[in-house]
Amino acid sequence: MSLVNYATREITCKIVYYGPGRSGKTTNLHYIYGQVPDERKGKMVSLATQTDRTLFFDFLPLDLGTISGFTTKFQLYTVPGQVYYQTTRKLVLQGADGVVFVADSQARQLDENIESFQDLHANLAEQGIDARAVPLVIQYNKQDLPRDLVLTPAELNDALNFRGVPEFGADALHGPGVFETLRSISELVLKRLSTPVR
Amino acid sequence: MSITTVETWVEPPLRKFVEEARTVLALLLHPSGQVVAQFGFVRAVDVMSACALAAAIHASAGELGKQLEGKAFRGLHHPGRERQLYLAEAATQRGNFIFLTVFDQESSLGLVRLYFDEFCKNLAAAAPAEARRAEPVIEESFEGELNRNLAALFGRG
Ligand SMILES: Nc1nc2c(ncn2[C@@H]2O[C@H](COP(=O)(O)OP(=O)(O)O)[C@@H](O)[C@H]2O)c(=O)[nH]1
Ligand SMILES: [Mg+2]
Repeated sequence: MSLVNYATREITCKIVYYGPGRSGKTTNLHYIYGQVPDERKGKMVSLATQTDRTLFFDFLPLDLGTISGFTTKFQLYTVPGQVYYQTTRKLVLQGADGVVFVADSQARQLDENIESFQDLHANLAEQGIDARAVPLVIQYNKQDLPRDLVLTPAELNDALNFRGVPEFGADALHGPGVFETLRSISELVLKRLSTPVR
Repeated sequence: MSITTVETWVEPPLRKFVEEARTVLALLLHPSGQVVAQFGFVRAVDVMSACALAAAIHASAGELGKQLEGKAFRGLHHPGRERQLYLAEAATQRGNFIFLTVFDQESSLGLVRLYFDEFCKNLAAAAPAEARRAEPVIEESFEGELNRNLAALFGRG
């Protein structure tokens, strides 16, 4: 659940970008970092190997501004996608208020996407989080690649989006879809603060 | 002395610790990386990065401890050139918290450990049993505000 500080009127939300290795999670954060003015963001922390593969996580704190009189802050995390980083993924997922699943639209990556999506649900369940209740949006990234290499959002929807959550085609390298994805997950996460939790 | 806390019951124990152990920085956070209280930081965004990293250190040290020792390590000490860092866990009936503090020549590891033990007791004693009930916090029609904020953030304002 998002952290609410009634005394200082602050809301802090943790959003995790999840998905298979090389799908573009870190690229999403880099793009966001590049767009946001300095006074509204902290340092982007990347715990990565020398070859730029995410080792533990990337982290980007954002100051979203005021909503209903509350200063609202977002903490964006990415997880390492490679299968052998299972433990790390679980740790980063702890206490997530929302999840962005970044799928790699390349046809040959379909199995990896499905496997990672199942892995997400298993890890949420293990932490006692109801996977169907947690705010989730799906991004079909790398839609800029040649048509014959990638699946369309409709095809990816059939394979992954059985819950019918908001979905966005994207090209995180150049920007299209990155903003829309963040906007959508922000809305879902904040919506939970505007309606009573049972 | 400027301490900011998310939950007010945390403040007295933390204030006492910082005064007695004379540390430069102090952070109390949830294992998920969310800040509970801080002393000594200037910018909120810096607090958030420090929390994310502290949670990561704590989690990896815990896992490493489990693999090598059969159980998680209790406390972690990192001596730097001028400043030193101490990181440990504090248990309360409201759950476990991670505590990180940074100190210089004004203090010492012995002092920090001593007052940390006391801090843990004080914190456990101060912790209220029930979490504050979650109530709707923001107005239902927050979307306009959110869109304006995000547009400004992405230079589309
Ligand atoms: N063509 C294209 N390449 C992308 C896109 N997003 C990421 N990449 C590339 O895919 C590779 C992996 O991206 P990265 O963000 O490190 O993946 P992560 O493992 O999910 O963090 C990098 O070489 C990126 O430049 C995209 O939308 N289009
Ligand atoms: Mg990465």
